[in-house]
Amino acid sequence: MKYSFTHALGHFIVNDNGEIIGTLAKPDAKLKKLPFELVQCVLENFKQKKYFAKLYSKNIVITKKAIKESVNEDNLIVQTISTMTELDRTINLFTKRLREWYSLYFPELSENVSNHEKFVDMVLTEKRPQETIGANMQQKDIAEMIKLAKHIQTMFRLRCEHETYLQTIMKKYCPNITELAGVTIGAKLLELGKSLKHLAMLPASTIQLFGAEKALFRHLKTGSRSPKYGIIYEHQLIQKAKKKDRGKIARVLADKLSLCARLDYFKGEFKAKEYRKDLERKFG
Amino acid sequence: MKPIPHKIFGIYTDKRRIYTKNVFPGKIHFEEKTVKDGPIEYREFDPRRSKLAAMIMKGCTNIGIRKNDVVLYLGSSHGYTPSFVSDMVEEDGFIFGIDPAPRVMRDFVFLAEKRNNLVPVLADAFHPETYMDRVCAVDIVYQDVAQRNQTAIFVKNCKMFLKKGGYGLLAVKARSIDITKKPKQIFIEVRTQLEKEFTVIDYRILEPFEKDHCMIIIKK
Ligand SMILES: C[S@@+](CC[C@H](N)C(=O)[O-])C[C@H]1O[C@@H](n2cnc3c(N)ncnc32)[C@H](O)[C@@H]1O
Repeated sequence: MKYSFTHALGHFIVNDNGEIIGTLAKPDAKLKKLPFELVQCVLENFKQKKYFAKLYSKNIVITKKAIKESVNEDNLIVQTISTMTELDRTINLFTKRLREWYSLYFPELSENVSNHEKFVDMVLTEKRPQETIGANMQQKDIAEMIKLAKHIQTMFRLRCEHETYLQTIMKKYCPNITELAGVTIGAKLLELGKSLKHLAMLPASTIQLFGAEKALFRHLKTGSRSPKYGIIYEHQLIQKAKKKDRGKIARVLADKLSLCARLDYFKGEFKAKEYRKDLERKFG
Repeated sequence: MKPIPHKIFGIYTDKRRIYTKNVFPGKIHFEEKTVKDGPIEYREFDPRRSKLAAMIMKGCTNIGIRKNDVVLYLGSSHGYTPSFVSDMVEEDGFIFGIDPAPRVMRDFVFLAEKRNNLVPVLADAFHPETYMDRVCAVDIVYQDVAQRNQTAIFVKNCKMFLKKGGYGLLAVKARSIDITKKPKQIFIEVRTQLEKEFTVIDYRILEPFEKDHCMIIIKK
């Protein structure tokens, strides 16, 4: 029996003993493919210093091309949602700092405006009233706080623009998930699942517990109470529900989200609106 | 103290730490510490970052890797450990780094462009048929993939690419096989499975460097 074997170093004819008995200009379709048991034997021939340069350059070319082509919507979505999460943290951190700083000058503002974004806006627009327990300050000292407030405001805007952008790509790429989960939770699901493809392959029970891995491991190892939900906990339906119903809703929601992922991955119909209305009727 | 040769080929030691001799002096990729001795540069090989280094620190005396060896490295990631294996096999050795994750392979490609005895292959080691047409037979199979089916992946690749008499090194992460079982029990199961196919020549638990990991070395 003779076999054909195509390799980065050429096309070869191999016999039953795994010996190379000839080369070809192109693969011969009439010959059988090399069985796996003989691969090691044939590849032994190529384990020579003189072939290394060619093996190196071929693999570099193939791998570079594959990397170039590997980037898709999943990557864009994951990078955007990760950036938004970090912006949230940074904004929170800096706004707290601004509150401390600005309260040396005008503490009543921070006291009365609890919303961060509104507070930052008001630092930039509101004048300090006469009546205040804040210290009197020179213009140059106030100006420094205002600089920080402007940067935070820019970060708020950036976050908002990212969200709009995310919504646009997600509505196109995964309309069902986006409709049922919402943009933020939907994107976080993709982030945790690494890709739409992977998300579509996962069982609903995994999606239900996405983001609760730590609690799940603890449960499996020590027998502590099993978690009922991960990231989907943030979903409106669960947030609004009574505590005792949440576990059940989480299960049903995860089921539907899993269906949505499959619909989106296999480019199926748009059904999420029905699913959402169903769920709202049942649990809303 | 200057590093002196360790029992293991290609490894140097100052009694506390281990090093490799940089085959490409001046090229540092992972912020590793270096020790200079004239034109020779030693790169510190950190057992907390590499299971191979941990295995050596745990007293393993034969890891099988020699100068000029060809290595199939499964789970090459960013290339930390592969870069040290690259030092050990030297310029005339050759290492195929297999990893299916484009993000880490991107770093590995840049590394391979600086060390031309490293070869990047973006592929899933569970499907060796997808890369058997661009590698050659090897003297060593090293695997660290942290996957549930890691034993099957290892056996498959050793059968397909490892020469007779070659060595296989398998890092086992108990948690990715079964979180509910005791790590020791998993290690024994994996070892038993490997003994059916090869000769097991070393087995060590990598504690305290890596939690719930062991390394098994086989000979085909
Ligand atoms: C723990 S890291 C390896 C670290 C590396 N050995 C070092 O010490 O520098 C595990 C790697 O295995 C890769 N991996 C996971 N599944 C794999 C598979 N089926 N085939 C090859 N690599 C895989 C992952 O992408 C990841 O980069």
